Amino acid sequence: MRKHNKYMYFRCFRIIAASIITLMLVLPAFIFAQGDGPRFYWKGLAGLNAVPVIGSSKSGNANPSDPSHTVSPGSEFTATLAMPGYARMFSLFNRSAMASVIVPVGRISGDVIVNGLDVSQTARGFGDPMLQLGINIIGPKAIKNLPDMLRYKPGFSLDIIGSLAIPIGEYDNESQVNIGQNRWYGRIGMPVVWQLGKWVPGKRTTLEFLPAVWFFSDNNDFVGQKMETKPMFQVEGHLTRDFMERFWGSLDAVWYTGGEATIDTLNTGKLNNFGIGGTLGYQINDNMQLTIGYMSTFNDPEPEDLKMDGFTVKLIYGWHKLIEGINRLNSE
Amino acid sequence: MKYLLSFLITGALLFIGEMKAQTNETKGQEPDKRPNIVIILGDDMGFSDMGMFGSEIKTPNLDRLSQCGVRFTNFYTCASCSPTRSVLLSGVDTHINGLGNMDEWTAPNQEGMDGYEGQLNDKVVAFPQLLKDAGYHTYMVGKWHMGKSPDKIPAARGFERDFSLLDGAGSYWDMTNFTALTPNSLFTEDGRYLTKLPKKYYATKTYTDKLIDFIASNHGDGKPFFAYVSYQAPHDPYHLPKDWRDRHIGEYDIGWDVIRKQRLQREIELGILPGSTKLAERMWFVPDYSLLAPATRALFGRKMELYAGMMENMDYHVGRLIEYLKEIGEYENTVFIVFGDNGAEGNDLGKMISGTPGTRDFLFFASKWSQTNPNAWGDPGSYVGYGPGWAQVSMTPFSQYKGWLGEGGIRNALVVSGPVVRREKGSINGGLMFVGDIMPTLLEIAGAAYPKTYNGNEMPPLIGKSWMKVLAGEAESPRNQKDYLAWELFGNRAILQGDWKLRWEYKPLGKSDWELYNLSSDPAELNDVASQNPEKVKELVALWDDYVKRNHVILPNRSPFEGLSDQLPMRFPVEEGYPPLINKRQYVPPQDMMTDPKK
Repeated sequence: MRKHNKYMYFRCFRIIAASIITLMLVLPAFIFAQGDGPRFYWKGLAGLNAVPVIGSSKSGNANPSDPSHTVSPGSEFTATLAMPGYARMFSLFNRSAMASVIVPVGRISGDVIVNGLDVSQTARGFGDPMLQLGINIIGPKAIKNLPDMLRYKPGFSLDIIGSLAIPIGEYDNESQVNIGQNRWYGRIGMPVVWQLGKWVPGKRTTLEFLPAVWFFSDNNDFVGQKMETKPMFQVEGHLTRDFMERFWGSLDAVWYTGGEATIDTLNTGKLNNFGIGGTLGYQINDNMQLTIGYMSTFNDPEPEDLKMDGFTVKLIYGWHKLIEGINRLNSE
Repeated sequence: MKYLLSFLITGALLFIGEMKAQTNETKGQEPDKRPNIVIILGDDMGFSDMGMFGSEIKTPNLDRLSQCGVRFTNFYTCASCSPTRSVLLSGVDTHINGLGNMDEWTAPNQEGMDGYEGQLNDKVVAFPQLLKDAGYHTYMVGKWHMGKSPDKIPAARGFERDFSLLDGAGSYWDMTNFTALTPNSLFTEDGRYLTKLPKKYYATKTYTDKLIDFIASNHGDGKPFFAYVSYQAPHDPYHLPKDWRDRHIGEYDIGWDVIRKQRLQREIELGILPGSTKLAERMWFVPDYSLLAPATRALFGRKMELYAGMMENMDYHVGRLIEYLKEIGEYENTVFIVFGDNGAEGNDLGKMISGTPGTRDFLFFASKWSQTNPNAWGDPGSYVGYGPGWAQVSMTPFSQYKGWLGEGGIRNALVVSGPVVRREKGSINGGLMFVGDIMPTLLEIAGAAYPKTYNGNEMPPLIGKSWMKVLAGEAESPRNQKDYLAWELFGNRAILQGDWKLRWEYKPLGKSDWELYNLSSDPAELNDVASQNPEKVKELVALWDDYVKRNHVILPNRSPFEGLSDQLPMRFPVEEGYPPLINKRQYVPPQDMMTDPKK
């Protein structure tokens, strides 16, 4: 009438492993010009590690690796970037926290206007590494063990994040097209994840927001000139929904305003732009997830408006030593 | 003269007629003072699951009935649901009333035999019919499980109004049932089969709503009512509304061993059991909770959290019914009888049905019952039962659970309250009571008699004894030391007389041989004393043979328990702390002798 105990244990661990899979989705994939993306601020088990590799292809009238999106009217940038990174979940003051670093690498080409002339320029190499620390302030306590994880439901979750880019990326002061930015910049943000309905794989729905303010130091050597950029306010929003246990999608939107740049005396005007797009995600196995997204600005009729669109493919590999151990034992 | 005589006779007849009419009218104005009767049956509710029986589960409304009435600690049912229900309603042994075996497990050698119809047969009369004949309104809500054909449904067995689940179990949210061949649960309302369920259906709530409507519809007509509130709760699957799921998060992570000890302690403190009572051995195939990993504890604990929610939700709806009866002024004149229909459920019904991949029912479960994520537990499509470890908690301090004839399978909590109770409020009684006693008790309350024949059929004798003297405080038990109770289900058998219980159960839960226990000193059935008391065994076996003969018991040639020995691990005694290999904690040397390596 009953299966042996061993089956009962095995079933438990299957459920646990499945729960971890669902929480792997939290791992970061920072992409400039598209926001952080959906399901970025979902929480995971403390001790969870992840390596995201993000490939993106973008084009527009601003440098995709520059988060201020300073528009160069009449220019055309195209970028092929890969962004490897590393992230780790941990508990800080009994709250979920995540530290991450991501480094853009790749190449950017641009047809830019220099002294009235249309000039093609290319940059390649390593960009500025971006460090980020986030901690949850409203929502469930840190997921410190497997029981916490089994019981986790985000409900209404609010974090506070701080990001800082270190200006050590490759930079050519004679070129308008660079992968490094030659200035410090960062942001303060308050991401929200709002669970709508059930928290059951295959049925989860979330509404997510990330209001953030970006701050930029001066670039004192932008083609021999000084570039000042005012703070930029950004809000991104996502409506995400599971289609199946391992397959989900999201409608994405982002709004930028501010970020007025002054190059010597030339003022670029401030941004006020929307981007919309969509993302599909699929959990390949216990450790790996793939997402594909597209986003494009849409209120961009004027030359000084930001025009940008791009595809992004993210592959995230995540692991936790406890689960790896369980898997090793189960495979014996 | 002829005209004068005719005039006088006519006048006399008119006068008599008028007088009779006036008398009837007067009678009609006098309210019927007979009490209302409400039976609240918890499906698979365990002995220790109500607060006043030692539970940590919060059941304030059921406790209120206990505080106003009497708790009985030596009450017996059958080992599973439909047999108990058949005895409850017919007052006749299962092997005569049609439930000699559950319909779902009728053995080949029992097929077609009288008493094994798998439904309440026509050789018995259900007491709601007799109460109805005696002028009671008769209502039923909830689980029936005693026949689905038009002549076997509640309306055909004396219920004037009903809203009934005819199956033994099913979803609490919709009509989904468990097997590919029986994909839908069947419901009746007032004798008609339902094509769909009411909007916003949730079993426990809807049953209560319906009953309140039934009572309201006839309230004020002067007739008392009988209500059979046969809740589906807390039977698995543990379906319950979201706001009832998370009231005990983490509270059961300490495990079944600790909770059982706590419950026993409370049972002793409350006076439910004597201070000398010991816990039955944890079933050997149930893991020692202290050895489980935290996540496994959390998962198992979650199941008990849901079970507690099921109980509390049921209690809440009992509270609604009580409040309604108070509101209409009927509470004080209502007898409540509360009990569980058998031991708590330690079997995994879902796994039994769907456990083999590649089978038809596995596929059915894949499409209808596959919401296995813990966050989906409680939702439609989830199937959670709490398993043998928690079932033993529900049956603290007894051994075994539903389906078996250990005390954990057949002994349950009983509460009786209302105007017929003259005992001290909140008192406890240890008299030997049986579910078959309820029918003669209720007939006595209603002033109805058990007929010798009904619908042309000669009625078998009732097996129960009225509790009226016990309830009035004039007797401690409806039985004397010579009276006995006997059971047979699935081939397991038992007989109880006085302090002695003889039982035969399939291996490995039993010995496939007679075991003898003295329940007064060993209610947990820890010590089989058959070999020390051969005369007592012989005496009780003779009674058993007598029972078999009187009730035409046919031992089944197939049983759900056949082959169980091959499915369970080998049986060894369960000793706390054994083996030390995995139970001994890290040795910590004296602090002053600890040092770092020299190089």
